[in-house]
Amino acid sequence: MNTILLLNGLVGGVIFGAIYALIGCSLNVLCGVLRVVNFAHGEFIIAGSFLSYVLLTLFGLHPILSLPIVTIAFFLIGFGLYYLLIPRLAKSDEPETSSFLLMFGVSLMMIAAMMWIFEADIRAVEFSFDPINVSLLVIQDAYGEGRDGRVIVPTARLVALGINALLIIVLTYFLYRTLTGKAIRAAIMNREAIQIVGINIHSLSASAFGLAAALAGITGVVLAFVVPSIDPNGGQDISLIGFIIIVLGGLGHPVGALIAGILFGLVEQIATVFLPQAAAQMLGFIILIIVIFVRPQGLMGRMTLR
Amino acid sequence: MAKLGTKKPDDFSKEISAQRLKSSLWYAIITVLILSCFLVPLQDGNLSFMFSLMMWVTLATGINFIAGFTGYMPFGYVAFYGIGTYVTAILVKVLGVSEYLAVPAAGLSGILLALLFAPTLRLNGIFFAIVSLSLAVVCQRLMSLLPEEITGGSHGLNLGVATDRTHGYYAMLIIMFVALVSASWLGRSRLGKALKAIRDDPDAADAMGIHVSRVRLYAWIMSAFFAALAGGAQAWFTGALDPITAFDVLITAKTVIYAMAGGLGTIIGPVVGTVTLVWIDEIVWQQFPVLNNFLLGLIITLLILFMPRGVVGSLMQRFPHLRKYIM
Repeated sequence: MNTILLLNGLVGGVIFGAIYALIGCSLNVLCGVLRVVNFAHGEFIIAGSFLSYVLLTLFGLHPILSLPIVTIAFFLIGFGLYYLLIPRLAKSDEPETSSFLLMFGVSLMMIAAMMWIFEADIRAVEFSFDPINVSLLVIQDAYGEGRDGRVIVPTARLVALGINALLIIVLTYFLYRTLTGKAIRAAIMNREAIQIVGINIHSLSASAFGLAAALAGITGVVLAFVVPSIDPNGGQDISLIGFIIIVLGGLGHPVGALIAGILFGLVEQIATVFLPQAAAQMLGFIILIIVIFVRPQGLMGRMTLR
Repeated sequence: MAKLGTKKPDDFSKEISAQRLKSSLWYAIITVLILSCFLVPLQDGNLSFMFSLMMWVTLATGINFIAGFTGYMPFGYVAFYGIGTYVTAILVKVLGVSEYLAVPAAGLSGILLALLFAPTLRLNGIFFAIVSLSLAVVCQRLMSLLPEEITGGSHGLNLGVATDRTHGYYAMLIIMFVALVSASWLGRSRLGKALKAIRDDPDAADAMGIHVSRVRLYAWIMSAFFAALAGGAQAWFTGALDPITAFDVLITAKTVIYAMAGGLGTIIGPVVGTVTLVWIDEIVWQQFPVLNNFLLGLIITLLILFMPRGVVGSLMQRFPHLRKYIM
């Protein structure tokens, strides 16, 4: 019986882990290129969920089909936000800490706006796949004669995992094989040097902001597959998880965040099997605090900021 | 400053009179503030509003000790406030201690928590902000996990009629008074100068023989102490608390905004910023309950982008001769 719980925890861990990986990755693209820690990231994600919710309820568009629309819309929003906020921020005395506060302000505005439009209720996203559940594994007679143990996963979660895996592959390819991706990685390593080789840092940074926002939007849509209810106030918890992931993986290290995200998802989901939920959530923060003191460059970080 | 070394006796007397001008302006402001707060209960004024005004002045002055004088931005500042409310409530409700002892005990618990969190001061910039925020969340979760007989779990505690609002009000007044006096002492003391030196250039300060980590720790403890006291008085005054509101990140946010709007790093700035914004909050924002948080967010964003030094700081930057009047 314990094996089944554990297996369920493992499957859940991979599914949530893939989402955490995406959250961490997009946060780290921002953090690496712009030196901005995005407090409003959770709200971007929730806004992504809401956009796909609106497309579903108003036009009957299936969330999978709404992915391209969300991607383009969020890319443009991120691109614009860069020019609105960041060049001015760079002039302040302490850009890093100020960015945290600045994005906190943005997050407050986004929460208020979403509360105003959608009210404080938690919205249920109503769509379903056929069949609703898939049983991955059947263990004969696990609970005694004739009562089989099953590892059951909702189809929507499997679809979410599939989309995530695809995204992660595309993203890794983009960062390592395309010119823009390489430029983004170069900007993370040395912001000054890439300007010498003739890269326009402003348009690159704006694209990075756009990319991060687009990824956040997609994460929001995928998140609605896994947890089919949207809470306008839920962004802060998501941002906090994101911070844990990026510190674990190394600040400004997108690939580190992917690995850290999956690890964290596994630890959290397996912990929920054995511990009460509040304690399992606290575990994340305790890991965070330990990592910051023992290994501030992160689990795979080669570089640190400053 | 530029005339260093070539000072004539005239300059010295000018400097002394400038110093006097500075302090008299500051003392005038706090006297008016304290007198007006003192008189409110006698005239049946708006007690809750004046209480929150005093609480925010205390918190903004408290955060200024660490954020303004050392440059650390504690995003989990609310942890100290929250622990103060909880210690007071538990002492009063569970152990039956008098509030007059419970609130100072809350202040002590703030100091203890600050000592416990002191290793975080080794971190810089964004790491410190993230860890501080996480610690506040850990405190919040811990309070709802502890047994219901002690912390009341996720429902919190209700002190009911056990507390007297007016006494809580005057306790807050005394705490604010002590915080303001400490601030004016810090503005002139060796410690304050050492702190400013560290903020501007830690290596140079170290070379001048300032014990950097110890001096920072003093500021950190002072900061935590006043937040915990303010939390204690809040529990006394309102008589109810729960983990969500006692550790709400919005409390940190408002504290930072109020202090920053006036000008972190000056003594007078946080007081001016808080009094102005709390009044605006009362008069204008209550008209738009839905947009309240939106406006708050907008103000933070605009402040960071256009006036990171706050009103007082920007004035000082634009008109350097005003330094004479600003503490």
